[in-house]
Amino acid sequence: MFLKLENIRKEYDGKVAVDALSLEVPRGVIYGIIGPNGAGKTTTIRMIMNITIPDSGRILMEGAQSGAAFKNRVGYLPEERGLYKKMTLEEIMVYMAELKNYPRSKAIGKIDYWLDRIGLAEYKRKKVEELSKGMQQKLQFVTTILHEPDLVILDEIFSGLDPLNIELIKDIILEMKRAGKTILFSTHVMEQAEKLCDNLCMISYGRKVIDGKLTDVKARFGRNTIQIDIEGDGAFIASLPGVRKMIEFNNYIELHVDEGVDTNSLLRAVTEKVVVRRFDIVEPSLYDIFIDMAKIDPAELDRSKEAAGV
Amino acid sequence: MSKFWVIFKREYAQVVKKKSFIVGIILTPAIMAGFVLLPTLLIGKKATSAEKLAVVDRSEQGIGRQFEESLKRYKLEASGEPYYIVEQVFELPAADTVRFVAVEDSLRQVITDKELKYFLVLKPDAQLSDTNLYLVTNSDNFLSINRFEGRLSDILASIRLEESNVNLGVDSVLSLTRQVDLKIRDAKGESLPFLTKYMSALVFILVMFAMILGYGQMVMRSVIEEKNSRVMEVLVSSVTPFQLMLGKIIGLGAATFTQVAVWVLLGAGIYSMKGALNIDAAVDRIIFNPLIIVFFALFLTTGYLLYSTVFALLGSIVNSEKEAQNFIFPISMSLMFPVIIAMYIVQEPNSTLSIALSLVPFFAPTMMTMRLVFVAPTLTTYSVLSGIAAQAVLGFVIVVLTIVGMIWLTGKIFRVGILMYGKRPTLPEIVKWVKY
Repeated sequence: MFLKLENIRKEYDGKVAVDALSLEVPRGVIYGIIGPNGAGKTTTIRMIMNITIPDSGRILMEGAQSGAAFKNRVGYLPEERGLYKKMTLEEIMVYMAELKNYPRSKAIGKIDYWLDRIGLAEYKRKKVEELSKGMQQKLQFVTTILHEPDLVILDEIFSGLDPLNIELIKDIILEMKRAGKTILFSTHVMEQAEKLCDNLCMISYGRKVIDGKLTDVKARFGRNTIQIDIEGDGAFIASLPGVRKMIEFNNYIELHVDEGVDTNSLLRAVTEKVVVRRFDIVEPSLYDIFIDMAKIDPAELDRSKEAAGV
Repeated sequence: MSKFWVIFKREYAQVVKKKSFIVGIILTPAIMAGFVLLPTLLIGKKATSAEKLAVVDRSEQGIGRQFEESLKRYKLEASGEPYYIVEQVFELPAADTVRFVAVEDSLRQVITDKELKYFLVLKPDAQLSDTNLYLVTNSDNFLSINRFEGRLSDILASIRLEESNVNLGVDSVLSLTRQVDLKIRDAKGESLPFLTKYMSALVFILVMFAMILGYGQMVMRSVIEEKNSRVMEVLVSSVTPFQLMLGKIIGLGAATFTQVAVWVLLGAGIYSMKGALNIDAAVDRIIFNPLIIVFFALFLTTGYLLYSTVFALLGSIVNSEKEAQNFIFPISMSLMFPVIIAMYIVQEPNSTLSIALSLVPFFAPTMMTMRLVFVAPTLTTYSVLSGIAAQAVLGFVIVVLTIVGMIWLTGKIFRVGILMYGKRPTLPEIVKWVKY
């Protein structure tokens, strides 16, 4: 296992930020940490980065406690971005690489490639403050990976980027994965997590609620989601037998139904009252899982597991 | 350690590359020398034109005429002309108060530095009490006033003698009671004028103050900038907060040191050409005093290190420069404290209190420098085992030890503070960080 968190706990002023968190991140995967705002994602990442120290538990990289040498092998893009405004692009790229003990000459040799890649080649000798916010984000992403880290940690990587730049960064992330690097990212935008990650873990209220390969996670939640398009008022559907939950979107309704429910009779019951234009049984999206799980207090989850004898 | 150097290099280059740094290197010593020389030049300035005065004499004893006569001994150095011109002596009868009031009023109207600088009023029985005579003037020229006092004392004393029945000649009594004019010399010979020493001390302290506060605040600003721009988080994912803090403080400190080193070289260059340059003796004895030079450089650098750790600490706990302003005042006050009590220190530079205050870590850099300027130029020999040199060494050691302690303390607070945004921590919280 490349990166391993063992039973991490962190409290701030009596408030538990992260509790009993264990993670295993295999080498060469794209690993997503998802969860609602304030769930503990950034705290977890900061502990992995050794910026804050867990109250208890261990963080291991390749079996060794994370330390100074570890820092040099990681590239970290924090959620709150920032660069020295008065430095030129090339200066800051070399400086950040040097802070990772990356040889100066090697860093200088890679500047042109990366600036060209993110379309900022002409700004090489300009100051950071002359860049737009989106450009600064791209620049910071590049400074994060210039020193060829084995592990890249990206906190809310896509926030504030336009679709073109999202594509650009996604391509670079996939390239890094192919080169055997491990990428750990956090997001609360599920569509991106769904498209990118191999493995994921979801944190809610400071605790892990889901963990595993994306395909496994989806399989676990089963094919118990139904999307329907109707004409008319569909409010009654929520109270039909077997319907666990109904989410109304602008253009369609999504139903979460109990395991083993008779979908045929459900469809019949709906057509009796309104016109149905589409009735689809689908895999749950990560979005649904997220909504589902984020609402549950994990302490509750523990109790119900105990009650069920799990 | 190599990461420390990376940070050090950046912080150092950032300052040294600025134009203001080069300008400061050249301007500061010029200003220093100017301030040290200025009072000496002004006080030594010789009068070139005569001072005009008038006398209103109601004594009916001819005191006014005698006073006019006695002033004739003073000549202008440049031309040999009389120093004082008595425009008129108004000899009024003692009883005629109406005319006296009119004369005095008209004299008051014309009193200016150029036309009429002084007028002396002698009431009846001027010899009996000092309340019976006064000088009207808008000037505070001590030299002239002292001369007038001296001459009047002689005249009035002779009148008193004549009135009493002492059986001695007037002249012999005057020569017997002559006041002593005490010339002051220190162990090295001719004494330095007090004002020269005082101004030099102030200039040394002001330069120290400006550099410590200037560079110290640069440390603070750079921490606040990194906090605000959130670069901090990237930095601490690459280096330890301690490396960052030290790299910053010592990087900027090296810039300070560069400045001082250039000055010392500059000074050495001037000193080597001393003969050709005709340097003022006062400047020679203060600025080129080895004890003062060495300890000024040492206290400037250590003073900077001491205060910059305080500023690094401050920068790590506040969110903006505005928030920091409230704290800067007490910090600068502790640096300026010697100036506030300067009058005491300069009168008693070797009193127990002066020595004790100059050994308090946060006062030592400026306070010890002030004492050095007052004491060192008068000494013929120095010993590191006793006296001012020993005290300066002790003060230096105390400051260095305090720096070590402060770096430890600041390091503890710094590593937590730099990642705290938003609310400013309370004192109990900060205490908790230290223990944590």
